[in-house]
Amino acid sequence: MSRKLTVIPELCSGCRICELVCAIKHFGSNNPKKAAIRIINTYPHPVMRMPIVCSQCKVPACAQVCPTNALRLLDGVVQLDSENCVSCFKCVEACPFGAIYAHEDCDLPIKCDMCGGEPECVSSCPLGALRLIPEHALGETKRLNNVLSYTQMREIEFYEKGEKKTIHYADIGKEEL
Amino acid sequence: MSIKSGYFKKYLHVDLSQNKLERRDLSDSFLERYIGGRGFGAKLVWDNLRKHDFKVNPLGEENLVVIAPGPLTGVYLPSSGKNSFVAISPATGLYGDSSIGGGFGVELRQTGLDALAITGRAPELSILFIDNNDTSIIPAPELKGKTSLEAEGMIREQLDTQSAHIATIGPAGENLVKFACVNADWGRNAGRTGFGAILGSKNLKAIVVRGHCDLPVHDIQALQSESNKAFKYLKEHQYFKLWQQQGLMNVIEYANEKGILPTYNFKDSVFAKHDQINGDTMLSDYKIGDSACFSCSMGCSNICLVKNGKYTGTVVEGPEYESCAMLGSNVGIDDFGAILAGNKLCDELGLDTISAGNLVGAVIEGYEKGIISLADLDGMEITWGDDDAILKLINKIAYREGIGDIIADGPAQIIQKWPEMDNIILQVKGLEQSAYDSRAGSSMALAYATSDVGAHHTRAWTIAREMEEGQDWSDDERVDTVIYHQKLRPLFDMLGVCRLPWIELGLNEKHYEYFYRYVTGNDVSLEKLLELSNNVYDLTRQINIRLGAKRQDDSLPYKVHSSPALTGPNAGKVVDKEHFQKLLSLYYRKRGWNEDGTLPDNAEDRFND
Repeated sequence: MSRKLTVIPELCSGCRICELVCAIKHFGSNNPKKAAIRIINTYPHPVMRMPIVCSQCKVPACAQVCPTNALRLLDGVVQLDSENCVSCFKCVEACPFGAIYAHEDCDLPIKCDMCGGEPECVSSCPLGALRLIPEHALGETKRLNNVLSYTQMREIEFYEKGEKKTIHYADIGKEEL
Repeated sequence: MSIKSGYFKKYLHVDLSQNKLERRDLSDSFLERYIGGRGFGAKLVWDNLRKHDFKVNPLGEENLVVIAPGPLTGVYLPSSGKNSFVAISPATGLYGDSSIGGGFGVELRQTGLDALAITGRAPELSILFIDNNDTSIIPAPELKGKTSLEAEGMIREQLDTQSAHIATIGPAGENLVKFACVNADWGRNAGRTGFGAILGSKNLKAIVVRGHCDLPVHDIQALQSESNKAFKYLKEHQYFKLWQQQGLMNVIEYANEKGILPTYNFKDSVFAKHDQINGDTMLSDYKIGDSACFSCSMGCSNICLVKNGKYTGTVVEGPEYESCAMLGSNVGIDDFGAILAGNKLCDELGLDTISAGNLVGAVIEGYEKGIISLADLDGMEITWGDDDAILKLINKIAYREGIGDIIADGPAQIIQKWPEMDNIILQVKGLEQSAYDSRAGSSMALAYATSDVGAHHTRAWTIAREMEEGQDWSDDERVDTVIYHQKLRPLFDMLGVCRLPWIELGLNEKHYEYFYRYVTGNDVSLEKLLELSNNVYDLTRQINIRLGAKRQDDSLPYKVHSSPALTGPNAGKVVDKEHFQKLLSLYYRKRGWNEDGTLPDNAEDRFND
């Protein structure tokens, strides 16, 4: 089953723990500037913290511009073949998300390799803003949110065996019918 | 025992008068003894004082401001995004420091520096740009009068940088308001003791840092495994989620319940409308996002938006407990939207929310009591909860208009103009008291009185223990607790990390011994680190003594002894004067200081090499 690394920016706090664990795993250095995932902050309109990481595109723009075919989609991951890479960094410029990075200490572009299937950033994210989900589940959260906002959830409090509880229900707007 | 890693062993010395930038070496013994952050700052400020024969005007060219992260700043461990500002404070005329979270200190370290020390005065308004190895002072007259956040935006555009971290001052800093702050990352502040005014006096509008160096770590594998343990502990803590959701805002409800919430300028310590300004209200009606400092899983900060009413559209990073209490209950505001607007205004103007809320509260009470007249107020009436007038007054302080010009100079000037205000303003050594009422607990009162920067809870925060365990403990225990806090809490500021995982979620302080060891390779115990921190406390004390502080300055505001809260669980309680003096003498004895609060004769030998 192919799984996708996906981000929920609404949950991101901008703590950058993902950057740290990525750089430590791949370079053994404590340097967020060597991570293959970065958090971009914007302020104040909109206020957003957005982790930028490779989407492992099925038609990868980075691979298309690679002059030596060093980037290839294998097992659902766009993989960099360090033997063939000539470090031209065309891929960094070509990625429509800016999700490939460069650092002057590093000869090769810095690109997410999915940690062999268990990305460290996902397991270390304290807020669950990074998820690894089956490919067919992509977009589920968005769909659910859309439904929830459409139906305008309401809340009532009630007592069950003396214990206060709340129940959520969808207000279908009878008054307006 | 030696330093093997963890430092670049360099700091940048900037002389703005001479337009001179110099990377200077830091010796191993300096690193070992002063660790970083506030420790570096205190030592460099001490050396500068000696050079100037202890005659340093806080707003003069000669005042040296040290901006120092610590060896753990930016390292993979819980909440490592802290950075200290240290100098002689314009608020107190004594030692001052303030710490800032976010990512500024991390980025500063990534330029390959352990610290930055700035002296002199630029001939015109300028910015300091540290771009990894390249450093420059750039004239920026176009930023004059811009707010902190406007300036950050303009600089990002001019230098075309998304990744840099930028610390700026607002109009309050440019106008030398004594409680002006430094703002970074769109709403983080080095709030206390007047660093905005210090940078303003140096004509320095902003400091921009952008770096990409590896942060040196002696044993990264050992560090990672220790850090994972600590992160796991925090994640499994029963209040971890509460901290992520509410952050310090959860304290409003706690402080109200315990009767320590500053209300109507500390006339009271419970607020009838507390439920309109508490964490639950924030969560249900205002919060739109989480915000965390670097490498922090607790993420205690919030992004809030006002969605209706006259402040609609106000977006602010915050508020945290102090800002909410001082700009809320302390001035009688019960509209959370107005508190957010006040917080945003202070961020924009570059004003410390604690001092601003404290002094505005005092002015309202002064007017209520007839000490300050309507004419004094330039004809603008101001009463509890009048958010329009309160925000206008805050503006007038930053721009030094009318009465704002007097308030801008702090408690001493206010008291000089209206002597009766001495009984109204809560301050120690010239620094306005922060948002924990100390009348209910004599150890918290001792903590405020003996804090090296004035009435701030940063050095010791013992009120929680007093509230949890009651008042039934011995004087020995009270004093020991204050001193232990004054050793451990500043140690976090020296290491360059946040104390909240420890104080709020009980992360064992022993972890920090290992963090320090794995980062620096220096094999020392926590006890040794605490001893080094204590040594810095002695140093800041000696700085204060040399600058004229005496036992009488370790005193408490009038209200703490003589004017109890009116209602709530602590109604009627004050700190007994005689008992306090007894505690103070005991405190000096336990610290090895003399009865008059000075250090033993040969104390300076420790700091002079």
